[in-house]
Amino acid sequence: MRNLTPKIDIRGVSKSYPTDGGSVLALRSVDLAIEEGEFVSIVGPSGCGKSTLLYVVGGFLSAEGEVLVDGRRISGPGTDRGVVFQEYALFPWLTVRDNILFGLERRAMPQAERERQAERLIGVIGLKGFEHRYPRELSGGMKQRVAIARTMACNPDILLLDEPFGALDSQTREVMQDELLRLWLDMRKTVLMITHDVSEAVYLSNRICVMSARPGQIVEEFKIDLDRSQPRETLFLSEAFNRVRNEVWLSVRRQAVEHAGQHAA
Amino acid sequence: MPPSLRPLRWAWRVVPLLIFGALWHLLSHSGLVDPAFLPDPPKILAALIDLLRGPQIADNLAITLFRAFTGLVLGGIAGVWIGLMMARSDKFRAYVTPIVGGTYSLPKSALIPLFILWFGIGSVTAICAVFLACLLPMIVQTFHGVRATPQVLVWSAEAMGYSQRDILRRIFLRHALPDIMTGLRIALGFSFVLAISAEMIASTSGIGKLIFMYGENGAYDYMFAAIGCVVVVAFLSDRALLALTASILRWHESAVAESH
Repeated sequence: MRNLTPKIDIRGVSKSYPTDGGSVLALRSVDLAIEEGEFVSIVGPSGCGKSTLLYVVGGFLSAEGEVLVDGRRISGPGTDRGVVFQEYALFPWLTVRDNILFGLERRAMPQAERERQAERLIGVIGLKGFEHRYPRELSGGMKQRVAIARTMACNPDILLLDEPFGALDSQTREVMQDELLRLWLDMRKTVLMITHDVSEAVYLSNRICVMSARPGQIVEEFKIDLDRSQPRETLFLSEAFNRVRNEVWLSVRRQAVEHAGQHAA
Repeated sequence: MPPSLRPLRWAWRVVPLLIFGALWHLLSHSGLVDPAFLPDPPKILAALIDLLRGPQIADNLAITLFRAFTGLVLGGIAGVWIGLMMARSDKFRAYVTPIVGGTYSLPKSALIPLFILWFGIGSVTAICAVFLACLLPMIVQTFHGVRATPQVLVWSAEAMGYSQRDILRRIFLRHALPDIMTGLRIALGFSFVLAISAEMIASTSGIGKLIFMYGENGAYDYMFAAIGCVVVVAFLSDRALLALTASILRWHESAVAESH
């Protein structure tokens, strides 16, 4: 039987920021329902307010409208929603191990169990031997692995990813995308990801929402139905992948062009 | 530089001091100034040896250090607290900013006569002067460090279930620590200046009083010897604080620059 309550239900969310010349509308009446275990990406022209939407779902920003998680209205940040930011957001004064332990500290378990979990997560992200390094001693890819491990340590139902691989070079980005895909296929958490990389969105998501230029609204949705068990190369070279990739790309492009047109006029 | 040449590097650091001493000596014997007012280095050295044999220097220095460090610690704690509150509470900042801004450029030693009226001659007056002087750099540095905390660090901790109280201590204060240590270094310098100034004006003990007394009595060789002791102690305190800072800020970017 299908669960009728969506995992995340975004209802009529609008957000405006005060500026010197009045207020700027970042989001206009966004509606989006995400089922449990779904991987949804939001793509759109830069500055369209897609990160703002993620921060509203995270409970970091207040907005008009409401966001429901498991049918309950959220009123602030919560451990049910784990966040990974583009700029890693590691605590620079803590080592790899202590950053992960920081995520585990609030969970109800004995200290010995926390330490075991930290060991396990360090192994999962392949950073054995780097436990006692500080973030400044790590590469971008390593930092993002630690950030993901720290978020997983809290065992959230929902992962909110804010352009998680945007700051990485293209090779590292591909490796990290594969790792995230593997992790998601294993754990089937509900994921909401913000990205500006259309291929990344198609490769990882079940569903892609295209957002318009500011004020952001969801203007088009694409269901992605690809066989994720195929290796990356096969998928990227397949006709099905490229067809949907092109459709999404054209949709994003239309939004960007319209926006530029508005500004020229 | 290869290890065998390390002692040479130390020698090079001493050279400017030797040149300074030589110039002092020449000036003292040049006839331009009365040598009674500017005793030559050998005389000062003799006075120093004489002073170090007796208890005056050690006893008075201990008193001065007690006053300086008490004021520094109290001013440091209060300054961090006020700086943190100013950074996190708009209401608090609105009340405190005019007071901080108004007293920022005020020479704190100007308030010593007032403290004498309130607290009399002695340690309390000196500690109060040091406290006030240390307070402002600590407030300004803490405020700056807390305000510069990246929003995503705070949000990350919130999403992990940490309370605002935990976040104040474990995110904002931790992030401000490098700035707080900078403030502490500035405050350390102020603490010596104010402790000694206060002792010169309003005390019966302390190294400041000793220097003042030798000056009054025309014992300039002893006066310079006592000043030399203060310089050495102040320099060593500063080095000790730097070493402490380097060891607790190993995670910080500045640690990279120092290790290379």
